[in-house]
Amino acid sequence: MAKQFLDPHDVPAIEGTEGWERMYPYYYQFSTDDKERKEYESGQLWYYDGLHYPEPHTPFDLIWDEAWYLALSQYNSRIFMVPPAKGIDHRIVNGHVYITPIGIADPKEIEARIPLFMKRAGHYYENWDKIYDGWVEKTIELIEELEAVEFKNLPEMEDESVVFEHRGMGSGYDLGVQYDELINMGFKVWQYHFEMLNLGYAAYVTFINTANQFFPDIPMATLTKMVSGIDVVMYRPDSELIKLAKMALEFKLESKLDAQTSFASLQQELGTSDNGKKWLAAFEEARYPWFHISTGTGWFHHNRSWNDDLDVPLANIKMHIESLQAGKDPSRPTAKLIAERDRIVDEYMELFQNPDDKKAFQEALGIARKVFPYVENHLFYVEHWFHSVFWNKMRDLSRVLVDGGMIKEVEDIWYLNRADIKVLIDDMVRAWATGVVPAGRNKWPKEIEWRKGVMAKFREWTPPPALGVPPEVVTEPFSIVLWGVTTNVLKKWLTSLDTADGDITELHGSPGSSGIVEGKARVIKKVADLALLQAGEIMVAPTTSPSWAPAFTKIAGAVTDVGGPMCHAAIVCREYGLPTVVGTGNGTSVIKTGDLIRLDGDSGIVELLK
Amino acid sequence: MDNLEKKLTLWYNELKGENFPLVGKKNANLGEMLKADIPISPGFAITIHANDIFMQESGIKVELEQLIANQSKETTPENIVHLSEFAMAAIEKATMPEALEKHILRDYHRLCEICGVEDLPVAVRSSGAVSMPGQMETYLNIRGDRDLSDYIKKCWASSYCIEALTYRVNRDIGVLFNIGVGIPKMVNSKTSGVIFTNNPINGDPSKISIDASYGLGEAVVSGLVTPDSYLIDKITLDPVKIIRGSKEIECVYRTGSSDIVEKEVDEARRKVNSLSPEELRHLCITSKKIEKYYGKAYDIEFGIDADLKFPDNVIILQVRPESVWNKKKAENKKSEPTDAMSMILKQLINGVKFS
Repeated sequence: MAKQFLDPHDVPAIEGTEGWERMYPYYYQFSTDDKERKEYESGQLWYYDGLHYPEPHTPFDLIWDEAWYLALSQYNSRIFMVPPAKGIDHRIVNGHVYITPIGIADPKEIEARIPLFMKRAGHYYENWDKIYDGWVEKTIELIEELEAVEFKNLPEMEDESVVFEHRGMGSGYDLGVQYDELINMGFKVWQYHFEMLNLGYAAYVTFINTANQFFPDIPMATLTKMVSGIDVVMYRPDSELIKLAKMALEFKLESKLDAQTSFASLQQELGTSDNGKKWLAAFEEARYPWFHISTGTGWFHHNRSWNDDLDVPLANIKMHIESLQAGKDPSRPTAKLIAERDRIVDEYMELFQNPDDKKAFQEALGIARKVFPYVENHLFYVEHWFHSVFWNKMRDLSRVLVDGGMIKEVEDIWYLNRADIKVLIDDMVRAWATGVVPAGRNKWPKEIEWRKGVMAKFREWTPPPALGVPPEVVTEPFSIVLWGVTTNVLKKWLTSLDTADGDITELHGSPGSSGIVEGKARVIKKVADLALLQAGEIMVAPTTSPSWAPAFTKIAGAVTDVGGPMCHAAIVCREYGLPTVVGTGNGTSVIKTGDLIRLDGDSGIVELLK
Repeated sequence: MDNLEKKLTLWYNELKGENFPLVGKKNANLGEMLKADIPISPGFAITIHANDIFMQESGIKVELEQLIANQSKETTPENIVHLSEFAMAAIEKATMPEALEKHILRDYHRLCEICGVEDLPVAVRSSGAVSMPGQMETYLNIRGDRDLSDYIKKCWASSYCIEALTYRVNRDIGVLFNIGVGIPKMVNSKTSGVIFTNNPINGDPSKISIDASYGLGEAVVSGLVTPDSYLIDKITLDPVKIIRGSKEIECVYRTGSSDIVEKEVDEARRKVNSLSPEELRHLCITSKKIEKYYGKAYDIEFGIDADLKFPDNVIILQVRPESVWNKKKAENKKSEPTDAMSMILKQLINGVKFS
């Protein structure tokens, strides 16, 4: 077995992509001429963040990575003074983001940070619910601010109000400011995102570990059940669809829904009857904010929301109607979940003989339950609602740039990074003010074409799961519970360096949800593929998104490339009782649709039978 | 309840622990297990009263009383040997009173019917109202009316064996002693094994451990095979770990006899689990009941009966307290912080140590 992964500086360049580095900020590059930095980079373990990024980044989409690079890191290192942790460092290789957690080695420094952490984090834990309420309020406020942003083409002539109201500023200047504000809002929402998340995870991990101390090998599924939120915002969009499905059946509209594949034609069809109108009104009401849910993770510009494509929620409603007609209620059985949660907790409590142990367990459970609503719900507000609106604002801006002759297509803007766009706006508004053609009108379309070619090559490249030197033991909590990067997983990855893809008969990941299942694999790389799923198949996906909910009523199990026991796929599958293996590293490239596979959600092993 | 005392037989489900003066302890305990909803092999008890009727109607009681009266007050070993030889021979030779035999056979036939097996193999188990461990006989794999009748008499006779008599005389229990007899169906285990209501490796009380293999329990208990090993979450009943054993051999009853033979397990059966998911689940529920009923971790022997349908095929053969961890529990661990903030801090500093 190899002892270390490829040195990050030795990753071979892809032919024809030379110069790709300029697509991204310079601080994302592995160093070449700074000896000290280079040495540091070679000594770290960098793992591919496939949890968030199942594909390479177009230059603009890197914005969210930049956002959390700053936000997560600063809360650990400078705000809450987490004793042993600095931030998480980021690099980009052939369009793929690699990350590495930075620890504090000096015991004295750790010691000195303890009282600071206790005071600062303690304040948050003590006032958690109140702070969370305030968090929701200010985040919604920020989203409203975002929704109010309006990008307009530069006028031939400024409105006379500029003159008579003594504005003292013109549209060219405004556009630059508006763009800056938009970007700043994006960064701001990510500041909010991590305000409570690190602490939330720390509490949850503490609970997991405490439970494991008393009850070795306690299944993750059990732990999730113990803390599981009942009124979880992330389940709300799907429950809105279930409501609409039930309403459609009640109004006997199911055949009409069935006959129409697009929402536009359905709208026409239903608009002619009273019940149809009522249903459309209910549909419209559910859209804001609940259809601001991304069909992907929300991290990429092409992850369109239900509001962007109403055919998607419509298809989901139809799946729910099918379930209801088959006598299955797709609703979350809330009362049952509460009863089950209480029973499990009570029974575990009864097992304690030592009152101190019992108290420790109770405390850990209590704090985990307190933080859990935030840990689950923040996703809706930030990654789904805010991001969905944000991508569309960028499209509005892009239209202005297309009309200004700077780029060719609206969707071209993703091939420019945020600094490129700023410069491009500067160029455009100066040319507009001067009344001449802009300098960049030939430069940018050419550059964009080239970048598209580079991106295509990046997509064909399989990023190695890790680079650099693995630590002897992985103890960093986030790497383990979110990314599933454990000491054992690293060993498996190192072993797989010696094996060719075709020879693989077994994949190792983390146990996600209990149970053993055998079945045909269906590789799902994007949301559109979900329609291909046949009942009883095992879904093999890079990672999953909450908007995939209806799929989970169909499949027999799931395998993901990335993720730890707390990732979304694992949480959802536990709720649906589906055997799941997460974090296999390369499941979607090794397994092919139609392969017969057996997955063991208890051991984390996927066998390829044929 | 009064009329119980006049009964010749009582089904296990008519009994509870306090009825031991009527049927003996072993029988009464089986009744009690049923009350606790613990599935045992179906069967019935022949009461102590029935033994008394037999002794009276056959005239053996009077003969014995005379023999005792004629003997010297001081009970000598020779006297005991003499008494034993006489009583055992007389009981085995005597004819079972017709009404009593009819009654017993009627119940035996009913048991055959319940199990859907003609000439059902049963055990004939002695059950005294006073504990006399191992003093009296139990006969296995008895089938058919004639054998049953004969072995019941043998069982009665066994309460006059030298060991039992000596035991009673030494303790002033009395020479004349009627016992109960238990007639449970022989468990024809297709799979059997041992359960601990904890994880015996680390004492974790939130787990149930089950070792199971094909055939009769001997294969697992005596370590003839590597059994399937299941670690189950006690509360959710989800499997935590399943290690499939090689299970090359199984023990089965020799047909028409009570001894046991070893047989090879074919390749296909070795490669699948010896317990079905339903059986596994049912065993866990049953184990939890046993633990709850007796108030501590228990060690349980079970069999899955090939002649019965699920869930009636899950049979508990024997239960006893788990010995290691029940004792260790009292020891205290060193004190750890028990407030949330300190726990979180400790967690962050020590990191996560999952495999």
